[in-house]
Amino acid sequence: MIGIVVVSHSPALARAAVDLAAQMVQGRGPVVAIAAGAAGGLGTDATDVSAALVEAASPEGVLVLMDLGSAVLSAELSLELNPPEGHPVRLSAAPLVEGLVAAVVRAAGGADLETVAREAEAALLPKASALAAHRPAAAEATRRESAPAGASTRMTLVNPQGLHARPAAQIATALGGIDADVVVESRGRRADAASSLELLTLGAGQGAEITVSASGADAERALRTIRDLVVTGFGELEAEPA
Amino acid sequence: MGSLIVSEAVTLDQLVDWLSSFRDAVHEHCDYLTELDSAIGDADHGTNLTRGMDAVMTALDPPPTTIGELLKTVGMTLVTSVGGASGPLYGTFFLRAATAAGDATSLDGPALLAALRAGLDGIVARGKAEAGDKTMYDALAPALDALQSALGEGAELSGATAAAASAAAAGRDATEPLHALKGRASYLGERSVGHIDPGAASAALLVDALAGAAG
Repeated sequence: MIGIVVVSHSPALARAAVDLAAQMVQGRGPVVAIAAGAAGGLGTDATDVSAALVEAASPEGVLVLMDLGSAVLSAELSLELNPPEGHPVRLSAAPLVEGLVAAVVRAAGGADLETVAREAEAALLPKASALAAHRPAAAEATRRESAPAGASTRMTLVNPQGLHARPAAQIATALGGIDADVVVESRGRRADAASSLELLTLGAGQGAEITVSASGADAERALRTIRDLVVTGFGELEAEPA
Repeated sequence: MGSLIVSEAVTLDQLVDWLSSFRDAVHEHCDYLTELDSAIGDADHGTNLTRGMDAVMTALDPPPTTIGELLKTVGMTLVTSVGGASGPLYGTFFLRAATAAGDATSLDGPALLAALRAGLDGIVARGKAEAGDKTMYDALAPALDALQSALGEGAELSGATAAAASAAAAGRDATEPLHALKGRASYLGERSVGHIDPGAASAALLVDALAGAAG
């Protein structure tokens, strides 16, 4: 699993963002190291970034998410002062909060650095899609054209909130170790099931019908995994009053 | 003439004096720098630099024995103590200048210019700033150009650094009508027009302190 570093002006902001992301993966996420604050106040410190890069070091690489201006400068300076040895480090242009949530979920699923970085940078997609009424171009961008050939199954979302952030993360994470390409379709929209972000753009609520299609060596297992999650309401049904 | 050449170099002690008077200048102008920054930034430039330069002067007591070590200590201390964007930017400036100066214990005009140029190149590499972006570059770049021309015309270091200080001040003042394209001020867009850039203001203090120490 890749490691993640959060560089922020504010230790409180960084901790809260990490808490928010950690909630999505229930303790099974990547190491997320924080470099936040400087000299006891708001700011960033390149040497703290270097220490966080050591803490989060992974042979599979480290993704660095940053907030404003000097966070980027400090991260770049850190790489100049202490070049990482033996593993790639990528500085992400993703927005900090959305990018971190997306990256943690995708990393927890075992995705490689390249994939996690791409997912993080696409992290504004669900918000853009949710607000698509105001921005028609964004809605078009979220519609996928191709579906993989292979097994397919239809099911109905029974949990109260449908495919919201946590269930989407559960699906993406569960598919992490499974060799299959999986697409979820709802009301004419398609999403890569390995991307919690794309799943969110389906806007599938309670009672929505979804079609799950899978191809690849473990296609059947992928479908079973998703069906189990859907029929048990993503573990949310017990919490509902009878 | 031999004695003139020896006197035409800044010593390590003079560079310590430079940093010390820069520290004094940021103390004296702390409120001014923060006020500039409150107009178009996050209102911390004066306090950040004051804290940073206090930490620098503590770290330089006693001073290292080479100019490279001296400037490296300054750069690393600023990186860890300033916090805002000026930390990595001034930090990079001094770290690159340190590499250029190496084991020297004094710098003649061309060597001083080369070290400062290396520092400015570092700022450009780090901040991607260009002329007219309303940043510290707009004070430092004309200052180094003035230093270079003055040295080229055979001016003594005192005169050349004084010319650099004048050019830095003019560059600082010229940031007032500019529309910020870098840093926190860029979020303000047109509203950044009509304010002097705080980074250019502190950079002008840095060059002015150099002129004082080399004079």
